[in-house]
Amino acid sequence: MAGIICKHINKKYGELEVVEDFSLEVADQEFIVFLGPSGCGKSTILRMLAGLEDITGGDLLIGGQRMNDAEPGDRGIAMVFQNYALYPHMTIRENIAFGLRRQKTPESEIDQRVGAVTKTLGLKPYLGRKPTALSGGQQQRVAIARAMIKTPDVFLFDEPLSNLDAKLRAHMRVEIARLHKELRTTSVYVTHDQMEAMTLADRIVLLNAGRIEQIGTPEEIYSAPRTLFVAGFIGTPAMNFLTLRPRRTETGWQLCGDSFQLAISGSAFDLHEGQQVIMGLRPSRLRPVDAGFSGPSVQGEVSLTEFHGDSVLASFSLDGVDLGSLMPAEERPREGANLTFGFAEEDIHLFDAGSGISLRC
Amino acid sequence: MNMSRRFGQAFLLLMVFMVLFPLLWTLLNAFKQNVDILTRAPKFIFTPVLDNMIFVLSRQSVLQALVNSLIICLVSVVVGVVLGLPAAYAIARYPNRITDELQFFVLSLRFLPPVAVAIPLMVIWLNLGLYDTRLAMIVTYSLLTISITIWLSVPGFQQVPKEIEEAARVDGCGVYAVFFRIALPVAARTLLGAVAFSFVLIWNEFLIALMLTTSDARTLPIVASEMSQLGMDVPWGILNAAVILLSIPPLLLLGLLSSFMNSVFSRKKK
Repeated sequence: MAGIICKHINKKYGELEVVEDFSLEVADQEFIVFLGPSGCGKSTILRMLAGLEDITGGDLLIGGQRMNDAEPGDRGIAMVFQNYALYPHMTIRENIAFGLRRQKTPESEIDQRVGAVTKTLGLKPYLGRKPTALSGGQQQRVAIARAMIKTPDVFLFDEPLSNLDAKLRAHMRVEIARLHKELRTTSVYVTHDQMEAMTLADRIVLLNAGRIEQIGTPEEIYSAPRTLFVAGFIGTPAMNFLTLRPRRTETGWQLCGDSFQLAISGSAFDLHEGQQVIMGLRPSRLRPVDAGFSGPSVQGEVSLTEFHGDSVLASFSLDGVDLGSLMPAEERPREGANLTFGFAEEDIHLFDAGSGISLRC
Repeated sequence: MNMSRRFGQAFLLLMVFMVLFPLLWTLLNAFKQNVDILTRAPKFIFTPVLDNMIFVLSRQSVLQALVNSLIICLVSVVVGVVLGLPAAYAIARYPNRITDELQFFVLSLRFLPPVAVAIPLMVIWLNLGLYDTRLAMIVTYSLLTISITIWLSVPGFQQVPKEIEEAARVDGCGVYAVFFRIALPVAARTLLGAVAFSFVLIWNEFLIALMLTTSDARTLPIVASEMSQLGMDVPWGILNAAVILLSIPPLLLLGLLSSFMNSVFSRKKK
């Protein structure tokens, strides 16, 4: 077991810098998820941790030792790949035992450990088969077994569930969470699926274009996004955004759109007169309200309703921007209805329109 | 069964017949006396004789050529494998401008007419005092086997998924272990084809062998061709017998390889 420390790591391909100044401390036993859109550098960082990609600059420490130039096999890591990467010419048993054989582990110990791992993952019946005779989910389970059996200091997962269908993905996600509870091995997990990130992570590292946008627990990332990008990336359905101008009033602040004003106290935000701000509000926090509602509210004509099962997403247009309001299915409004949508001040997020940084103080 | 399917099958049968009949005819002629061969109406029923086979096999030159051919072919194929496979792997895994050029250079060797290669080589071997030796033939043929092996193996190695090799590195393999334990066995199917192809090509090679050998290092194709110059009459039976004997080793090799390939290809299903 070991923690990981990344100090100012960067990666260049020739002149192209794909990761700039990545610093992160992963505590022992922690489950860290790298989340971000494709091409944000998350896989590259993981591959640098694994030693499959050279580190251009900075220091990588695993378990307190500098590992920049160590061979992948000497880093105390095990990795699970997106397309499983099982050895096609070996049986499942040989696949799982391969790493131990390389370490010259005695055959009797290999037998015993293969037995234990395959029992945990329910792979006993398949040991004599070749990987091609197994389904995708089973193959990924073999890949996890192959990683587990080495009892590594660190698990690295590179989008391990992306090749599975939705149902199996949910099932394997639970299985990975359960395994982490049992083994408590430090894990770094790369995904572009926010659901996986939210459910598995102790902390999420949200990346965009080779930079860290925010590091935090899933709750922090969801409820207090540090940047506009994080706010837009996390949450389904996506957050509503309105570009507004703040104006000081006697009681606090007024956020002005073209056709409406929203009165807030503004005490939680660092606002200036003449600034452009972007207000973010999750659809689930924007609700139809009665005429007597005293908080900030907007008017809109419902243009479309989407049925989500338990809930309904009603869309309406405000100043030319489409907004969504998520409400219980039984409150489904008629399309074309003119409604008042209200929200509470503590649910809004304000970002500087220029820098995209949160204005919450 | 519909018409187009019937037509397709008939066409395939015709093609099979066109390929196999000359071979069958050669096989039959190898066991005929000259009088049975030189008839106006082709004879399918005749008294088979072993005279042709015995004549061919009893000649010292044939046995020596057989030994020469086997040694020269096997050694140059092995040299091709030992040097060509690692080169192909390097070209497939670490592509850069140099390997691109190299790959094209290797192929361009095959564009050259064999005569253009054979004459300079003849001069070189004569000067070195190695003309008409097995060593000279092995070195010459190794140039061919290496280039064929490289050219045909590169796609095989490229098909090995990179992640598998990376998984092996994480499992503690160095570059050599990755090559021997992972890349070679995974690409084995394609590689076997490449090796078999280079063997057949060298086994049948005629022109270079004709120019680089006179007596000691003659290979089977050379000796077989010389049989047509035995006398006034063309000894058809003996020629056919020589062709049949010449075909046996590559056929055996391909037979062995194909059964092996079948076992590799077929997935075990329970």
